[in-house]
Parts: sequence; structure tokens; C-alpha cells
Amino acid sequence: MRQRVAAPGPQSELHEVRSAAWLGLGLGITFGTCFVTGLWSHLAQDPPAWFTYPARPAGLYRVTQGLHVASGVAAIPLLLAKLWVVHPRFFEWPPARSVLHAVERLALVPLVGGGLFQLLSGTFNVARWYPWSFFFPRAHFWVAWITIGALAIHVGAKAAATRDAVGRRRQAPESQGELATDRRAFLGGVAATSVGLVVATAGGTVTALSPVSVLAQRRPGVGPQGFPVNKSAAAAGVTDLARDPTFRLVIEGAVDRRLELSLDDLRALPQREARLPIACVEGWSASARWRGVSVRDLLALAGAAVDAEATVESLQPSGRYRTAYINGDQSADRATLLAVDLDGEPLHIDHGYPVRLIGPNRPGVLQTKWVSKLVVH
Amino acid sequence: MDRPPGLPETTSRRGLLIGLVLGVPVIGYGLRGAFVDADDTHPTELARWVIGAALVHDLVVVPVAAAVALLVRRFTPRRAWPPVRSGLVATGVFVAVGWPFIRGYGRDPTNPSLLPRNYGAGVAAAVVVVWLVVAAWVAWRYMPARITRWSSGSRRPSTRSSPRGR
Repeated sequence: MRQRVAAPGPQSELHEVRSAAWLGLGLGITFGTCFVTGLWSHLAQDPPAWFTYPARPAGLYRVTQGLHVASGVAAIPLLLAKLWVVHPRFFEWPPARSVLHAVERLALVPLVGGGLFQLLSGTFNVARWYPWSFFFPRAHFWVAWITIGALAIHVGAKAAATRDAVGRRRQAPESQGELATDRRAFLGGVAATSVGLVVATAGGTVTALSPVSVLAQRRPGVGPQGFPVNKSAAAAGVTDLARDPTFRLVIEGAVDRRLELSLDDLRALPQREARLPIACVEGWSASARWRGVSVRDLLALAGAAVDAEATVESLQPSGRYRTAYINGDQSADRATLLAVDLDGEPLHIDHGYPVRLIGPNRPGVLQTKWVSKLVVH
Repeated sequence: MDRPPGLPETTSRRGLLIGLVLGVPVIGYGLRGAFVDADDTHPTELARWVIGAALVHDLVVVPVAAAVALLVRRFTPRRAWPPVRSGLVATGVFVAVGWPFIRGYGRDPTNPSLLPRNYGAGVAAAVVVVWLVVAAWVAWRYMPARITRWSSGSRRPSTRSSPRGR
């Protein structure tokens, strides 16, 4: 048994070093991309004091989050294939040949468990299925650190072997014959499955793929006003509050003049228009023409600095995304709007009637709907 | 190899040590965060999911895949193995990933723009496409030109024997 595992040659046509190396390379790239883009999303939603999340380019979050979900999806067949290729090694005997070997193998527990969990929980989140009690974004975030730490150990251990295996020429003996043909077919099939799965899910953000995106969470153009909705007014429990004719938008906090504006007052103020996407953490995105009063103009009207930080509050009685923070760069950006119109029509209640926040380069969950308050810091 | 080395041949001792220096603090940071954020992460349940994912994979997914692989070896001609295996991989992945969509666990009656498709039909269509590609691939592998090339080569594909060399 020991010899079989230690031998450099293939144990079967699939379970061997070159397959593991190529799949490992693919996983390093996809998990690395997921980690970086995921961290970016975290910085957007939960910025530490030392970091100012930029307001521009307007479509950046759409790209980074689209990439996050697409690379996670691409990693699913790669991870399953990789585990298939290396799984005979999981049962090698003795389980450890030295302390260092034991440590190396121990680090596979967070790597395999964490990697599988990240892909599984990410998929479930896109399907909006939460068969657990923890809060998905937090769990996904911390397990990402555990997984990427374990990946660093694994990459350190295997980088040289991977470089050798991937770099070896096709003329090398192990690249000839039926085994190599089988291996290439296997890797090709896995790669094709990855590409197919990305195509099948990316249609929620890449409109051209929508007709063939059989697993996309969204369909461009489907929703009230031809625009997808993340959370409906009914689900948020705001239907009556949002339709209340006595609705007032309040601007308060560190201001010279506290303002209370009715919807008509808002419409009477100078209106600005911006074409901006809603880019959801779940990977879908869609652009629309929004019209309303810019936060900057409201801050000026209230006698605050045009780049003052602020928090918007929703009519929503509860929920984690009831409020959202606007940093100075975002306040100062003329395209950060408290919008009242979508594509030339008043907002549908599911899109945040009477007033919603829409700003460039913000995650969708921070594009607060049914805004009732702007609190200036 | 008479004496087992302390590490597998594919493991670089130096690389592993560097990886440990970099990776262990990162794992520690993640673990600490999961516990500090316990109100949100529910560490016990989260650990069950992480460990459970690995166990279900090793104890359920791998044996099932191995059984299927064995059936392929048994009941399909040698030359069809790679396309058939790829077809099974793609089918399995599409059905597994599609499952929560097909079941519509996440649907919200107040929000018809969420999960608006017929995912069962979509996955079925994808699987049909997969097997059309597999059929074309198998046909290609049986094309006379290839047979000529194979027979003139050093190795001829056998329709029976396994190349495991056991």
C-alpha cells in the first residue's frame, strides 16, 4: 500500500499527480479570486475605520461580485474532481509518517471541509435556501479565512510539485499513450462542466447568456417595471407605511436645518438622473435609469458639508439592512441619489416607493429602499 | 522505496513550513472571528456543517461515484469511457447544483422576480445537451481515421482490459 501511494506513477489513469496539479492550479485561481472579491465585498459592507470604499467606477461592484459568484461556481466541478483524484491518498496507511506529515494532513480538514462548505453555502445562498440558523454572510466570511489559511499551507507544500507536473513537456513519458489521453479527456470534461455551469448561472448579470442560463437566479426584464426585486414590500412589511400619504423624508443629525420633505417637496427640488446598476451579492445585476435628488444637494440644503457621512434609514421595521451607511466619497458623488423614478416612472413599491437610495458602486443590499431618514454624522 | 520518507513525494518540506507560517495565523484569525461573532455564526452548528460537508463527501459522494465508475467500466466499451465519465460528471454536477433551484426552496410568493424560471426543465435540457455532446464525442472516438491512427501507433486501445497494471 505504502509503495502504491509513494510511487510517482499513476495508480489509475485518473488518480495521479498531473491531474491533481492541473485541478489544483484551477482551484488556486478560482478560490483566490473568490477570496479577493469576497474580501472586497466585505469591505464595501463593513468598512473598517482605515478604509474608504470608493464611489467609482460605478459598475465596479457588479464586476467584482459577478466574478465572485462565477469563480465560485466554476470551482464546484474542479473541487469535486480534485477530491476524486486524490481521495485514495486519504486512506493511505500509516496515516502519518512524521509529525510534519501529520500537520500537513491535519490542515486538509479545514481545507476540504471549508472548501466544500464555501461552495455549498454560496450555492444555497444564490438559491436563497438557508437550511441553517447562522447568518450566511458572516459564516461564509469567517470560513473563507479558515479555508484560505489552509489553502496557503497546501499551496506551500505542493507548489513545487505542481509547477513540475504542469510544466513537464507533452513529450515526457507520462504524457504519452492511453493514460494521458484519458487524463486529458477527464480534465477536459471537468473544465467543460465548469464553463457550462458558469454559463448556466451567469445570465442574471450577463444579459446575453440569459436564454441559456438555466440556473440563473434572475431573468433580466422580469420584475415590476421590468426590473428584478431583491425583497418585496410585503416581505419587508412596509406596504402600508410606504403608501401613507403623510410620508415625510427627514434629514437630521449634524445639520443646520432639519428638513421634512413630502414626496411632492422632493419632486420639486432639482432632479438628477443617473444610469446605475443594482448589483446583488448573489451575483445578479441589472441597470436602470434612476431619477431623484442627489444626497449631496440634500446635504447642502440642510446646511451640512456636501461630503458629510450619513446613514439612511428605511421604513422597514426590522432587518439587518434597515439602515445603510454612506461615506464621504459617496455623499459627494452627484450620482448618489434618493431616487423617486425608475426608467421615467415613479418607483414601484417593490423598488422602494416613495424614495430609495441608489448610488454608484454599492452592493445591492446597501441600496436601501423605502428611505424615511437621512441622518448626517 | 525501502524506508518511507517523512513526507509524500509531492510535498516540499520548505514550502510546507512557509505555508504553515503564513497559513496558521490566517486560520487562527478565521477561527477567532467565528467565535467572536458567535451570535451570527453559531459556531457549533457551523462546525457541524463544515465537518459534515467533508464527511458526507468522503462517505457518501465518493462511494457513490466509485460505484458509478465501476459500472461504467463494466458495461461500456473501453473507448467510450472518457466521454461517458465526463457526461456523468456534468450530469451529477448540474443536478446537484440545480437541486435547490428545482425544488424552489428559496421562492418567495411576494416576489415573482426571484427564481423565475422552470429550473427542472432547464436542468433537463442541460443534461440532454451534455449527452448529445457525449454521443458526438463517442462517435468521434470511433471514427475510422482515428482507428487507423491508433493501430499505427505503439498502443492500441483495448476494449476489455483495464490499464491499471495491477
